Amino acid sequence: MRYDSITEAIGNTPLVRIDPAVHGLRHTDLYAKLEMLNPFGSVKDRAAWNMARPGLADAAERGATVVELSSGNTAKALALLAGMHGLRFKSVTNRMRVPEIKELLLLLGAEIEELPGQSECLDPTDTEDPLTRFHQALAGPGNAHLHTDQYFNQRNTEAHASGTGPEIVKDLDGRAPDWFIACVGTAGSSTGVARVLREHDPEVRVLGLVAHKSDFIPGIRTIDEVQQVGLFDPATYDAIEPVTADEAIDGMLTLIRRCGLLAGPTGGAAYHGAVRRLRALDEPSGGRRTAVFIVCDRAESYLGYVRQRRPELFGRPPRKNSAAALTEAEIRAEARTVTTGDARRWIAGEDPRPLVIDLRGPRAYAALHIEGSVNIPDELFDELVRGGLPFGTRQPVLLACPVGEKSARYAALLRRMGHPDARSLSGGIVAWRDAGAPLVRD
Amino acid sequence: MRVPLYLRPRLEPPLSSLLADAPFLHSLADALGSPLNLLLPDRIAENADRFRGVYREHRLTGRVYFAHKANRSASLVRRLAAADPAAVGVDVASLGELQHALACGVTPDRIMATGPKDPEFLWLAARTGATVNLDSPTELGQLADLVRKYALPRVDVLPRLSAFETATGPGVSGVKALSRRSRFGSPLREAGALLDAAERHRDAVRLTGVAYHLDTTGLAEKAAALEQSVAVLDECRARGLDPRVIDIGGGFGVGYVAEAGQWERYTSELANAVLGTRPALTWRGHGYGLRNEGGTLRGALALYPAHRPTAGPGYLDELLSHPSPASGRPLATLLLEHLYDLVCEPGRALADQCGLSLARVTDVRRAGHDSEDLLVRLGMNAGDMSLEEHGVLVDPVLVPRTPLPEQAEDDGPAEVYLAGNLCLEADLITRRKVFLPRRPRAGDLLAFANTAGYAMDFRAHRAQRQPVARTVAVTREGASWRWCPDEDYWPITGTGGPTS
Repeated sequence: MRYDSITEAIGNTPLVRIDPAVHGLRHTDLYAKLEMLNPFGSVKDRAAWNMARPGLADAAERGATVVELSSGNTAKALALLAGMHGLRFKSVTNRMRVPEIKELLLLLGAEIEELPGQSECLDPTDTEDPLTRFHQALAGPGNAHLHTDQYFNQRNTEAHASGTGPEIVKDLDGRAPDWFIACVGTAGSSTGVARVLREHDPEVRVLGLVAHKSDFIPGIRTIDEVQQVGLFDPATYDAIEPVTADEAIDGMLTLIRRCGLLAGPTGGAAYHGAVRRLRALDEPSGGRRTAVFIVCDRAESYLGYVRQRRPELFGRPPRKNSAAALTEAEIRAEARTVTTGDARRWIAGEDPRPLVIDLRGPRAYAALHIEGSVNIPDELFDELVRGGLPFGTRQPVLLACPVGEKSARYAALLRRMGHPDARSLSGGIVAWRDAGAPLVRD
Repeated sequence: MRVPLYLRPRLEPPLSSLLADAPFLHSLADALGSPLNLLLPDRIAENADRFRGVYREHRLTGRVYFAHKANRSASLVRRLAAADPAAVGVDVASLGELQHALACGVTPDRIMATGPKDPEFLWLAARTGATVNLDSPTELGQLADLVRKYALPRVDVLPRLSAFETATGPGVSGVKALSRRSRFGSPLREAGALLDAAERHRDAVRLTGVAYHLDTTGLAEKAAALEQSVAVLDECRARGLDPRVIDIGGGFGVGYVAEAGQWERYTSELANAVLGTRPALTWRGHGYGLRNEGGTLRGALALYPAHRPTAGPGYLDELLSHPSPASGRPLATLLLEHLYDLVCEPGRALADQCGLSLARVTDVRRAGHDSEDLLVRLGMNAGDMSLEEHGVLVDPVLVPRTPLPEQAEDDGPAEVYLAGNLCLEADLITRRKVFLPRRPRAGDLLAFANTAGYAMDFRAHRAQRQPVARTVAVTREGASWRWCPDEDYWPITGTGGPTS
């Protein structure tokens, strides 16, 4: 395969059969449409390209900025397309909830504007929601924007009516599947594909999956949110069912671990919703049936999302020399502490003088600290002691933190590691200040 | 009728047991009339303790301030005056509130003067030694002039900052968090000029910290504001000032509705009603900010998030545990490491579960000849209880006049609209249809729970000469309730005179 541009690699994604031993359906062939194999990594590549394409040349001439309301894959695809055409891309969003995608967008050169959080005291005089204000800004005179408007742009749907849908029919040897299952985000892929499939066979059943209202599944809207999408038409779907975040992750793990498909949570939700629905209909009457669901994107961007919900999947054995492993009782029994008064005498009179280590953050240290102290913030100190003692055993050490809690923990740990004289400043820098002892800044 | 869409209130002791005592509530309303406000002063002290518990957990010091404007009552302020002086203070936003707080026994060192200030308010705050939350450099100038002119002691001040935008330079990729505009405070980018002014007026004012009030539930915006406030205080230190406190306000919130499921079902159905796919849920199809444009839902739901999994002290804990955007250290750690005290102003969250408003049912009839809905008229109007005005949707509790068994013919849920006692078409207690577990009858009481924060008498007025609610303070004594007029409550008074 040889292409002149990466955009030519958009579409023509594989349709892969899921092993019946995995899904357990006896009378249904279940296929995954692998939209995650598009060049920018998701089903949105098609819509982004189809929506942006007609306006790009003109936008380049005007020096316009491509603008979209997206916190995810559409923004990713548009940012790449904009970059290829020498344009800037700006994403406006109601909070990026997936940190990896946010960072990836920054890497791609996107600008991100986050809308404010929900108001606490309602202001009856406020007639504009932030989105309305955003649309007004776009419509204002003298603004050079190419707004792709994915929630209302028919070219979003068209991308799937001319691409995704016909590809599915072609790969099923000219037949439409009996069931088509898609998660509803912009409703573009489900609407476009459903239209084509129904043209082939009006009997096709379409299942739309939405996120459970109290849950968050990246890329899927909740049942309320889909009502705000211009492309959403309830008549497209024979049924709309909610999926929880937990179920989406279960589905994702099945696709990854048993099917070799590196799918993200949206694909997992589609798989889970598909199997749940089809299992109830899996009767021998009616003969063999075919079902297709969409795997919308890949797993890598959602590691943080999964870690937050299933920390056990990322469990590691405890490392050695860990301060976190010490119990409160062990700390009390083993940590040596000194009061501010004793510490001042110790620093002033002993030879060798104790090394004073301030465990606070660098800015706090810069603002005020004990004269002659060294700043090693706790998270760095934690790394340091994992490898062993970072100073000789003949060097006395005085550890200081805000209230003497973290320093006591490390004093106990250092003692365990064989240091004979590491002490913790009792009450910490707060007690030091309250006792009127001097603090300096540089 | 379809499945009733209840929004049952979250009730905790002692409010829950007070609501269960129907004879007591009826005897009070019989004696004192409808509407009637009840306050539970002991609960506000408990709430302050809960906030301080979060402080203790994060090893932070500093006071929790009650926003007096949330409730004009004497009993709540007096109860707080009797609490630990190092733990609780009162935030006053007018001359009258300042006088009231002083009269209730709150010493000036525990009072913070905020909001728009006229010269009399500024003078009395400075004269008595309250801390002044400065809205602008102009106000700082006014205050300094007063101090000099009347030879007053130096006044502790906290400039209020606003507009914490995290913008990067033009042409640079980055994340810009947009914030809602506020009428109050000085934009962060003018903080330098404000500090210059504070230094210039050093003889008259002592800058002891900074304050901000962000009207948002978003943790990310709060985290950016707190971290930037720490940076401003560090800058103060670099200038040789000795600041100690960061005063944070806004967004702590109250969970009004007990069950998440009810709230979710209700708001979904409201969207469907606006789209026309189910019968209306509101008087004349009011959409609470939502509208139907060609079958697509537009606008934003202008409702208070009435079910909140974390609110009040829980929200503070979440905020303090949240990483600061630049350094990545938890915000509590940041405050602690920089040696700053935390002052928080939890607004209505401090008045959570502290009171209720009672209204007598005066009339019940069909809302129209073509409707099964009932119109329930109450001895109360929309000004007496402004939950609706704040976008708080929560059901009242029906307190029957007579015990239930005799009313078997009324069994089953009822769909009602709650009308007020003013001769105005618009006077509805709430514009939504309320689902009650059974049909109310004239003489019953409806109890609106959790109205102590901003709802109870925030808008009460004497237009049309309807009675304005009396307010009583209620305390538990053993198995029974004691009550007294709000203005007669003193936290030291028990049965038979002052307790020792």
